[in-house]
Amino acid sequence: MAESANMNVMRQTDRDTAMADVKIDARGVQVFYGDNHAIKDVDVEIGDRMVTAFIGPSGCGKSTFLRCLNRMNDTIPGCRVEGQLKLDGEDIYDRRVDPVQLRAKVGMVFQKPNPFPKSIYDNVAYGPRIHGLTRNKAELDEVVEKSLRRAALWNEVKDRLAAPGTGLSGGQQQRLCIARAVATSPEVLLMDEPCSALDPIATAQVEELIDELRSRFAVVIVTHSMQQAARVSQKTAFFHLGNLVEFGETAQIFTNPHDPRTESYITGRIG
Amino acid sequence: MSPTVLLAILVLLALAGNLAGRRRALAVSGGDVRRLHSLTRYHGLSVTLFTAVPALFLFGAWLFVQPLVIEGKVSRMAALSAVSDAGAAELVMGDIRRVAGGLDVLAASEGLSEGDLASLRVEEGDLPSRLAKAGVAIAGDISADVLDAAREYRRLTHLSSVAMTVAVTAMALAGLFWSLRRLTPDYRARNISESFVLALFIGSALVAVLTTFGIIASLLVESIHFFRLYPAQDFLFNLTWNPQFRGGSDLGIWPLLWGTLYVSFVALTFAVPVGLMAAIYLSEYATAATRAVIKPAIEILAGIPTIVYGLFALITVGPFLRDHFAQPLGLGSSSSSVMTAGLVMGIMLIPFVSSLSDDIINAVPQSLRDGSYGLGATQSETVRQVILPAALPGIVGSILLAASRAIGETMIVVMGAGASARLDLNPFEAMTTITVKIVSQLTGDTEFASPETLVAFALGMALFIFTLGLNVLALYVVRKYREQYE
Repeated sequence: MAESANMNVMRQTDRDTAMADVKIDARGVQVFYGDNHAIKDVDVEIGDRMVTAFIGPSGCGKSTFLRCLNRMNDTIPGCRVEGQLKLDGEDIYDRRVDPVQLRAKVGMVFQKPNPFPKSIYDNVAYGPRIHGLTRNKAELDEVVEKSLRRAALWNEVKDRLAAPGTGLSGGQQQRLCIARAVATSPEVLLMDEPCSALDPIATAQVEELIDELRSRFAVVIVTHSMQQAARVSQKTAFFHLGNLVEFGETAQIFTNPHDPRTESYITGRIG
Repeated sequence: MSPTVLLAILVLLALAGNLAGRRRALAVSGGDVRRLHSLTRYHGLSVTLFTAVPALFLFGAWLFVQPLVIEGKVSRMAALSAVSDAGAAELVMGDIRRVAGGLDVLAASEGLSEGDLASLRVEEGDLPSRLAKAGVAIAGDISADVLDAAREYRRLTHLSSVAMTVAVTAMALAGLFWSLRRLTPDYRARNISESFVLALFIGSALVAVLTTFGIIASLLVESIHFFRLYPAQDFLFNLTWNPQFRGGSDLGIWPLLWGTLYVSFVALTFAVPVGLMAAIYLSEYATAATRAVIKPAIEILAGIPTIVYGLFALITVGPFLRDHFAQPLGLGSSSSSVMTAGLVMGIMLIPFVSSLSDDIINAVPQSLRDGSYGLGATQSETVRQVILPAALPGIVGSILLAASRAIGETMIVVMGAGASARLDLNPFEAMTTITVKIVSQLTGDTEFASPETLVAFALGMALFIFTLGLNVLALYVVRKYREQYE
C-alpha cells in the first residue's frame, strides 16, 4: 500500500505546491464536547487554491476540526471551541461574525449525499436563492447550469432538471451536492469524506472534480483513503487522538514522514 | 356446570398436557434432547394447543348454537305459533326466559325441589308475587303455556349444559392423548406451534377488517330501510331539516352537512397553524429541557374528555364571544355559535396536529439540516424550505387525522353550537352537525321503524363515507409524496 501511495505521490511532486496565500489560519485550536477534549492545540494553515487533506484513524478529530472551519459545530449542544481561527485574517469565532454569512463563504459537502427533497434544479438553486445572488430567472438558470457543469453532472441531468434530486444514483447525488455547494460561490469548500459512500467509478469522477475545483477555491477534504489523499491533495495533515501530528506537503508526508506515528499510519500499522 | 368451571378444567388439562408433552419428549429422546427435532418446550406447547384449541372451538360453538336450538324447540311447544308478529313472539320468548330464570331463583331461595317446581300451578295465583319477592319481576299474569315452556326451557338448558361439559372435556382429553401418542423425536412441534401463532396473528388482523365490514353492513341495511320510507333525492337535495315525529318531516342532509363542514373548518383554521407552529418550535428551536416540559403539557390537552371542552365552550368561550364580538358587531346574540364550537374544537385538536407533526419533523434526517446550514441557510430558511417540504406527507396525515376527529366530534358541538339545523354563513349563529342529529334522532326511542329514527343510519352512512374519503385522500397524499428523502 505504501508503494502504491508513493507512485501517486511521485506523479504529484511536479504539481505546483508552492504555498499561495493563507486562506484559513488556525492557531492553538481546542475543541471540547462537554468534558471530552476532542481537539488538542491544533495549528494549521490552509492555503488558497489548493487541496488540503486531513487524514487519520477514525475518531481522531479530523471531521470535528473540519466542522470548526464553518462553525457547523455550533449546532451541536455542549460543543466548545477555543483558540484562534482566522479566515482572510478575520476571526471566525468573533462575536460579530454571523455563522450564516460565514457558511455562505465556507461551503460544505458531507459524507453521505444529502440532496434536499426537491428537484435537481431547486437543489442547485437553493443557495443562490436564499442569498439573493441572482436578479432574475435567466441569471439563476445560468448559475445552475454553470454549477452543474462544474460538478460534471450537467450532461447527465440537463434533460430532467425538474426530476427529484433524490432519484439520482449515489455518485450523481454527491456531485449534485457539490454543485449545490459550488453554486453559492464559496471561497472555501469543506468536504467530509465525500467519497466514502460511493463506488470506485463515482469516486474517480468526484476526485477529478476536486482537482478542478482547486483552481477556484481552497478545498479541504477529510478522507480515510490514503491513496485518495495522495491523489488529490497538495498538503496533508495527519491527526491522531485529537492531536495534529504532522502537517506538510503531501509528497513529503507520504514519502518521508518526520513523525514515527505518521509513518506507522501510512504503512498501515496503526489506524 | 357453569362455563367458568369448564374453562378452569380446560386450563388445567392444557397445563397438564404441557407438562406431559415435555416429559414424553424427554422420554422419547432417550435423555439426549439434541435428538429431538424441536425443543421440549415446543413439544409441551403443541400438546397444550391440541388439548385446548379444538375444545375451545367446540365450547364456543356450543354456547352460540345452544340458545338457538333450545328456543326453537321451546317456541314450537309454547303457543307462540299463535302469535304471528315477530316482535310479539320475541316478547313471549323473553317472558319464558325470565320465568325460567325465576324458577331457578325460587329453587334456591325457597328451597324447592325439582318435584315441587314441576307441581307448581299457575292457578295458585301467587306465583308472580313469589317471583317478585325473589327479585324477578314479571309483567302481568303468567299463562300455563308460558310456565310449561319455562320448565321445558330449564330442563333443556340443564341437559345441554351437562352435555356440553362432557363433550368439551372429552374433546380436550382426546386431543391431549392423541398429540401425546404422535410425539416422536422427529415430530415437528416447533413448526406446529409457530403456525398456530401465525394463525393467531392473522385472526387478530381479521378482527379489525371484519368489524369494519360488520359496521358497514349494519349501517347499510338500516339505511336501505330508511330510503324505502323516505326518498333518497329528498334526503340528498332538500335544504331543510325539520323532523316531525307525527310524520311529514323534511330530512334534508344539507343543513347538517354544512354545519359539520363549517364547524370543522373553523376548528382546523385555528388548530392547524397553531399546532404546526408549536410543532416547529418544539422540534427545531426548543432546548431538550423546554421540550420535556412543553410536549407533555400539550399532550394533556388530548387527554381531556370532550364533555369538559363542551363545558368550557358553554360557560366561558360562548358568552365571551357573544359579549365581545357577536353583539358589538351586530352579528347576533346567541352564545351557542359555530365560532364557539369551532374554537374550542380547535383547541382540542392542537395536540393531534402538534404532537404528530413534531414526531414527523424530528424524523427528517439531520443530514438535510446540515446540508442546508452548510450552504449558509438560516434556521428559518431551513425549516421553511427543507424541513417542512420533507415532512409534508406526515403533516398532511396529521391534519387529516385532526379533520376526521373534527367531523366526528359531538359533545363540543352540542354544548358549543347548539342543536338547531340551519344553513347560514354567519359564524356567530347557532348551527348543528350530523353527529349531534344522529344522537338526538335516536335518544328516547328504540323502535327503528319511522324515517325520523332510521335517518340516523343514513346520516351515519354519509359521515362514514365522508371520513372514509378523507382517509383515502390522506393515504393517496402520503403515498404520492413519500420517498422524497432517504
